[in-house]
Amino acid sequence: MKSKLKRIINNMNLARVRFSIQLISFALFVYGGYFAIYLGSKLPIFACPYNGKSAGACFLIPLQHQLSMPAQILLGGAGIAVIFGILTFLFWFIFLNKAWCGYVCPFGTFQDWLTYLRKSIGIRYSTYTQHQFEKLSKIKYILLAIVVLVPLLIGVGALGGEWGAAFCQICPARIISPTFSGDFSQWTIDFSTKTSMVLTAIGMVFAGLFLIGSFVKKRFFCFFCPMSALHYIFSKFSFVQLRKDGSKCTRCGDCYAVCDMQIKDIADDVVSTEILRDDCILCLKCVAACPEDDALHFDIFKLKAFSSTKEGFEKRMGIAKPKGDAHDKHTRA
Amino acid sequence: MTSIQEHKQKHKIETPNEKQNRHKAMEAIKVLNTLKEGFKEPPKAMSYFYDLFEEVYCHQKALHTDKVKVGTMCIQIPSEIIYALDGVPIRLCNGFYTDDEIGSDLLPQKACPLVKASVGHLSSKNLTDKPDMIYSPTTCDQKTKAGTLISSFGYDVVDVDFPRTKESEISREFFRRSIRDFSVDLSHKMGRKLTKKNLRASISKIGYAQSLYHRLSEFRKSKIVPILGNDMFIVTNAFFFDKLDNWIEATEKLVQELEQRVKENLHVAGKVSPRIVYTGSPPIFPNYKIPLIIEDSDAIIVADETCSSNRMFNDRVAVDEWFVNDMIDSLADKYLKACTCPVFSKNDDRIRRIIELVRSHNADGVIYQAFAGCTVYELEQRSVLEAMEKEGISILYIESDYSPSQHGQLSTRVEAFVESLKIKNRNRK
Repeated sequence: MKSKLKRIINNMNLARVRFSIQLISFALFVYGGYFAIYLGSKLPIFACPYNGKSAGACFLIPLQHQLSMPAQILLGGAGIAVIFGILTFLFWFIFLNKAWCGYVCPFGTFQDWLTYLRKSIGIRYSTYTQHQFEKLSKIKYILLAIVVLVPLLIGVGALGGEWGAAFCQICPARIISPTFSGDFSQWTIDFSTKTSMVLTAIGMVFAGLFLIGSFVKKRFFCFFCPMSALHYIFSKFSFVQLRKDGSKCTRCGDCYAVCDMQIKDIADDVVSTEILRDDCILCLKCVAACPEDDALHFDIFKLKAFSSTKEGFEKRMGIAKPKGDAHDKHTRA
Repeated sequence: MTSIQEHKQKHKIETPNEKQNRHKAMEAIKVLNTLKEGFKEPPKAMSYFYDLFEEVYCHQKALHTDKVKVGTMCIQIPSEIIYALDGVPIRLCNGFYTDDEIGSDLLPQKACPLVKASVGHLSSKNLTDKPDMIYSPTTCDQKTKAGTLISSFGYDVVDVDFPRTKESEISREFFRRSIRDFSVDLSHKMGRKLTKKNLRASISKIGYAQSLYHRLSEFRKSKIVPILGNDMFIVTNAFFFDKLDNWIEATEKLVQELEQRVKENLHVAGKVSPRIVYTGSPPIFPNYKIPLIIEDSDAIIVADETCSSNRMFNDRVAVDEWFVNDMIDSLADKYLKACTCPVFSKNDDRIRRIIELVRSHNADGVIYQAFAGCTVYELEQRSVLEAMEKEGISILYIESDYSPSQHGQLSTRVEAFVESLKIKNRNRK
């Protein structure tokens, strides 16, 4: 019974399952507000509250808000609130690890839909070279530093109040998310102060880049996402992990070929067991595309919940008995 | 006058090609007869393969008269692309001593017998399925130089650049470009375009053939092994030149028969026969010298790590978006990155593969054969032996060539090794 269930799971059509989960999550975090659903403001995804209909909010908002409190208050009782916020964030996070990105984040899902659009037009995706990849991969940490440091500088009085929620001002999700519920008001540049003007202008540029970027490059924004960087700091604490058995890996590169994030280690690293990398969105496409039994597996605690198998691979890649061409039959004397 | 004419009719002088054919037929039939009669009940489905080899090598039957034949010098040329363009890949790696001797006149004495035989065969121009063009990946030194030599015989030979390291990103990009160029060149020559549809269908078809191989391998993991390693070599060797549809059909039948055999507990070796993983220079029909000695010495080959068998089928192609270039890139990655050929600077992958095969197939030992003159396998011997020692895996290293002469000495060594494995197993119990 157990092995039968395992086989069904390992043989599943991951792309379809994922599409369904993403569709439901997108509806929830973009339109959940219509049904009075609210899951709090410590979510580990880009569920943007600038879109009034979201069923929750991105943790980076309260984080920036809390950290921008005057230093004395922050070091006093308010510090506890920050810690409590992080704990709540962690509570959500540990259940899904980075699968929040690959399955739940509406902003991630939107990029996947742009990918479907590009694919249906018949345009091939772009990739970074290894050199570009290594350089650009650091940007998300710079953005995370902006999320944390700018509010702290406000707190000590080094920066003015107009720097508040600085990251949100440049974040493309702020501009694009409300659009889904018909609110185009974020597509503007705020001319109230010089700082706001610069920040919101950068935001507009980023939003434009986002739309073009994610059209030509799979999961374009996730590569730069500070939330992704924050996830990575805590990813070891999660119940769910992506693991690899290097002894079974032949380095054929199938996992790398399907990876939206171009993570090379997934194919080339045969030493690490914990193979989740900072850019990973835990979409599990690599597991689905691996033709070796149990070489890659998605674990809940220590249990292999979804493993790569030969059979599953053949099913998903559409490898089937070819239809016989009668004329090609070998005639034998 | 009349007596001379009569004399002429009686003694028709054999042409060199006829002599070559006759010698090759003798080599081929000897191995086929050994396989058919020297062992416990070969599967009935094997007769397709035995007949195929007999027809091709004893009766010079051409299989692909209606198709463009694309010769390949090594496994790194994606057959998926050739089939997609409606060509037939013919792998030119050769295992005949007769051809090896012809090649000896053209290459250094100490060159690899496989390369000498391939060159010898092509220089004789006596081919049943003569390739219309040849693609030569620049793998080892000898194969690389052989390509140029072969083109001097009048064949259309195209070098396909192949890197000698595979860890670096440069090598990946390099080989992707190389395979793209190859497909452009072939598509130009075939007057056909590589399309999403034909390439995908071809990947799926080869994938299916691979899945059949995987199912055969699966049988060999269990205690009851329903097929000899030598028969497996015959099956995989047939893939070098057979019609793909026929190969698939015959192998499907073999899979079905083996399923039945497993149910009947039909084990092709003895109860205590040691289980061997075979690695090294590829056994190519009819040079089954070492594999035959092994299975004659009461051992059974349960898996192999060679380019004439496992390496040809093991790795698969996955694609995220089925655009032509994505498929080509993924094909290139598979043929480069998963390749465990010893031509690469580092080759930990090969060692890992051997260890994994030993573990997954419950093998008792490894036999590593290198052709005398196959420098890269000879060079890698030390590191593999060291790694096996570290893992506590027994290994025997043998050097051999295509000549029929050293049989006695080789079988003594193999028998001693097999005996030592048996003693080890007995002591363990």
